Amino acid sequence: MFSTNYKIAHTHLTSNLRQTLVALLGVTFGISMYIFMNGFMGGVNDAQTKLAFTSLAHVRIYNDGPSDHTNLIRAIVPEHTKVRISNAKVIQYTTGIKNTAAILSLLQQQPEVVAVTPQVNINVFFRNGGNKLNGTLAGVDVTNENKVYHIANYITAGTWDNLQFRPDGIILGEDLAKDLGVNIDDNVNILTSDGVSHNYKLIGLFRTNVKQIDQSKTYINIAAARQLLSENQEYVTDMQINVQNYEVTEPLVSRVAPVVPYKVESWQTANQQLEAGAQLRNIIAIAVSLVILMVAGFGIYNIMNMTINEKIREIAILKAMGYSGSDITQIFLTQAMVIGLLGGLVGLLFGYAVARIVNHVPFHIAGMSTLPMTYHVKDYIMSFLFGLVTTLVAGYLPARKASRIDPVEIIRG
Amino acid sequence: MKNKIALKADHIVKYFYEPEKFQVLKDIGFEVKTGEFLTLTGKSGSGKSTLLYILSTMDTSYEGSLVINNELLTGRSQNQLAAFRNEHIGFVFQFHYLLLDFTVLDNVMLPALKLNKKSKEEIEHKAYENLKLLGLENQALKMANKLSGGQQQRVAIARALINDPSIIMGDEPTGNLDSKNTRNVFDIFKQLTREKGQTIIAVTHDDDFARNSDRVIDLSDGKIVQ
Ligand SMILES: Nc1ncnc2c1ncn2[C@@H]1O[C@H](COP(=O)(O)OP(=O)(O)O)[C@@H](O)[C@H]1O
Ligand SMILES: [Mg+2]
Repeated sequence: MFSTNYKIAHTHLTSNLRQTLVALLGVTFGISMYIFMNGFMGGVNDAQTKLAFTSLAHVRIYNDGPSDHTNLIRAIVPEHTKVRISNAKVIQYTTGIKNTAAILSLLQQQPEVVAVTPQVNINVFFRNGGNKLNGTLAGVDVTNENKVYHIANYITAGTWDNLQFRPDGIILGEDLAKDLGVNIDDNVNILTSDGVSHNYKLIGLFRTNVKQIDQSKTYINIAAARQLLSENQEYVTDMQINVQNYEVTEPLVSRVAPVVPYKVESWQTANQQLEAGAQLRNIIAIAVSLVILMVAGFGIYNIMNMTINEKIREIAILKAMGYSGSDITQIFLTQAMVIGLLGGLVGLLFGYAVARIVNHVPFHIAGMSTLPMTYHVKDYIMSFLFGLVTTLVAGYLPARKASRIDPVEIIRG
Repeated sequence: MKNKIALKADHIVKYFYEPEKFQVLKDIGFEVKTGEFLTLTGKSGSGKSTLLYILSTMDTSYEGSLVINNELLTGRSQNQLAAFRNEHIGFVFQFHYLLLDFTVLDNVMLPALKLNKKSKEEIEHKAYENLKLLGLENQALKMANKLSGGQQQRVAIARALINDPSIIMGDEPTGNLDSKNTRNVFDIFKQLTREKGQTIIAVTHDDDFARNSDRVIDLSDGKIVQ
């Protein structure tokens, strides 16, 4: 029976090609917009993430000191005891992370961890003659630092790996170097908060395109940093960890935090604005494309209604010959389905083409050369399903109306 | 066979409410025997078409009862009636004949494809035979809208016969035909009643056509006048 109903549906579709084409175009447009919007927002999110992760690891472990310096007595005196303290002085706490080796090996046993790098971060002043700028000096494990941040990709002069063999070497952000007026092989003088001063040789420059970083960050070998602070060979201020999927940091944090006596913090907690931005862009993409699909749905609804009004006599004749209400529904739903499937397929191709073209539009900001774009199979499947559901819903209402036509009313005239 | 009842209408009453309440059919009751060739006559507006729509189960808003092949059809659902019509009733309309976007052959085949009791090849074969019977075998693959009114009406007759229905109803089935084709259709109907025991109920204005049938029911102002 279906083949007969399909044949009738097919005849309806081909007997008014122009209308069919308009309905098809509606779906095609809706679906290609969905693909384009989601691909573009995905690209923007990825670009944002990539920028963010040039200076951000997925999980960070550091010593954040006692959480409350203001009233340390409260913990040991009975409740309701009156306490009055003035001019409290915070005594020196141990900074940095102890027993680094144990924590390192614990982290390396976690299945999702792909890279760990220990750092010694120091706030310093950079000096060149009278010029004094503040920034951070990162003492890094050269190999592992690159595994986490891919910093070698951002080097614009010199080579990253040389830092390994140069205890006197320093790598500067391009903007900082410019502000200081130094070039490769020049001396860079730094001053720590404890008043220690030291000269390094500029052996490389980098540009991450994150202004704040390019203006203030520098790298030296971790051993040199320990030496600068007169600390032992285990001393570390931060452990930076990357996991397989940056979206999924929670399991690692909840597993490691209880056994490590330091602060374990995911990038999402530390940078909620990034997460919020990404989520909002996704919502915009989905809202816009769903609105377009809905408009396409209204188009199909209208066209199907027109078809049914045109074919009302045919429907009456079919019913008079014995076709049931559900046959009629099937005939018109089949038309909607064909429109949905064909429009969907063309929409997939068209959406891909548009995405490709936009992906080639030049865009030279923040290290990008063209507008960003993602091509996720999931977006393509979702858009196709949404398109199909929209057409079926839009087709169902007119189809149901057609199935309820009373043939005798029409035939009697 | 002669004594079996094909159709029984009992106390059929029908009103139209638009533009005002108006009784079209007034207590119509009669029986039709299996294999009988019955014609309905009467002046224009006497209610022949209205009665035929009720007999064909398409119109369900009437009082009284309708029994065909010993099955009470009054009160059944639209879908049940559609299935019944498909198998047991062939209908030739007065004005609207065919699906114009389909070929002649498709039009004839559609009721049989719906019934779905024979293979497509058998149906097609039977459709060609019916078209040949009505002198239309050369038109089979033409689009229905390319045919003249008279040809369309003959296609509609070929279509009404496709499922070998036990009753064939026609609302002026020869109204658009010349005398030669009218004669042919009459002969086909007669033959069907005699050889296959099918029952014919046809509305006609053609006196010859009526006179040569087995029985005439004359309608006037919604009542039977014998
Ligand atoms: N849909 C309708 N609404 C109201 N009155 C109708 C309708 N159809 C037919 N009639 C009226 O019912 C009467 C019978 O019509 P009909 O059965 O078509 O007569 P016939 O077929 O014998 O010429 C006529 O007076 C006609 O005007
Ligand atoms: Mg009439």
